Amino acid sequence: MGIHTSNKQVMNMPMPYFINTPNLGIELAYTIVILIFCFLVYFKTREIYNLTKHKGMQFFRYAFIFFGLAYASRLFLYLMIFGSDNMFGFSMIRRTMMPVSNLVVAFFSTMAILYLAYSTIWKNINIEHFLTFSNIIALFVAVMAFVSRSTLTVSLIQLVLMVFAAIIIFINHKKDKKKFGTKALYLLIFALWIFSLFALESRRIMSFEFKIGFQIISLFVFIAIYYKVAKLVK
Amino acid sequence: MSKKRDRLEVIYDFLKIIQDNHNSIKPTPLLRKTNLSSQSFLEYYKELLSGGFIRDIYNKQNKKFITLTDKGFKYLGKYKTIIGFIGEFEL
Repeated sequence: MGIHTSNKQVMNMPMPYFINTPNLGIELAYTIVILIFCFLVYFKTREIYNLTKHKGMQFFRYAFIFFGLAYASRLFLYLMIFGSDNMFGFSMIRRTMMPVSNLVVAFFSTMAILYLAYSTIWKNINIEHFLTFSNIIALFVAVMAFVSRSTLTVSLIQLVLMVFAAIIIFINHKKDKKKFGTKALYLLIFALWIFSLFALESRRIMSFEFKIGFQIISLFVFIAIYYKVAKLVK
Repeated sequence: MSKKRDRLEVIYDFLKIIQDNHNSIKPTPLLRKTNLSSQSFLEYYKELLSGGFIRDIYNKQNKKFITLTDKGFKYLGKYKTIIGFIGEFEL
């Protein structure tokens, strides 16, 4: 086969994943909606936080900022994985940026998981230097993501973190004897995030309908949390 | 036996006492009414003063009174919301 191909041959070539589906639009809308609701949660609680400087509220608010940043950087990572070389100019840039995006996604999302989990247990488990502690763990996960260049590694480490957080939350819940609803919602947020990360690498084998269904559930959870916040903080 | 008041509840009681005394009270009766130790009272007083919830005013005899600021009134107005939020999200 020669170097020159006819227009007909070009038309018959399989299009890259990124271009031949409406995935970019869906991913963009999905990320923007989650980002907006995460920031809305943060800003809606600003007044009551400024009045109280309540620690639990601080961790809760930061968790949503980190989730917003994690989803935003995940979109960037998505573009790196599925974008065509034409889109970013050189594949070299893409190869350099991919591990960096992986690192950023891993850092923000780990911080989000740790902050949200700690917001419910800080009264019972006092970690004196939580900021340092959470940064060390998040940096460790980020470095692992950078070295492995795989979102699968990050999702596996975060799965272990989630199970660990779930056990601690459950033990504390038994002591508190409060209803489990909100804590279950937090665990669902963790699970949905980890799955969204896992889905990045296994997207090619995942059906379009399954992906849409999963994204709708994620959106529903974030909107439900915002609705709950907005109802309480008028 | 009544349970130990948490920080937000103590602040609420502190500010509510001032409000209920026509928004002006001397430090000594305030200390008595808050049911706090002198040490705790001083800590809360300093925190609320620096946070802009209360301020000191002096009468013609140069006697000190404690009064609420707008932020102090806002805290009292929002207290139920704050407690509801913390309870709902188990913070």
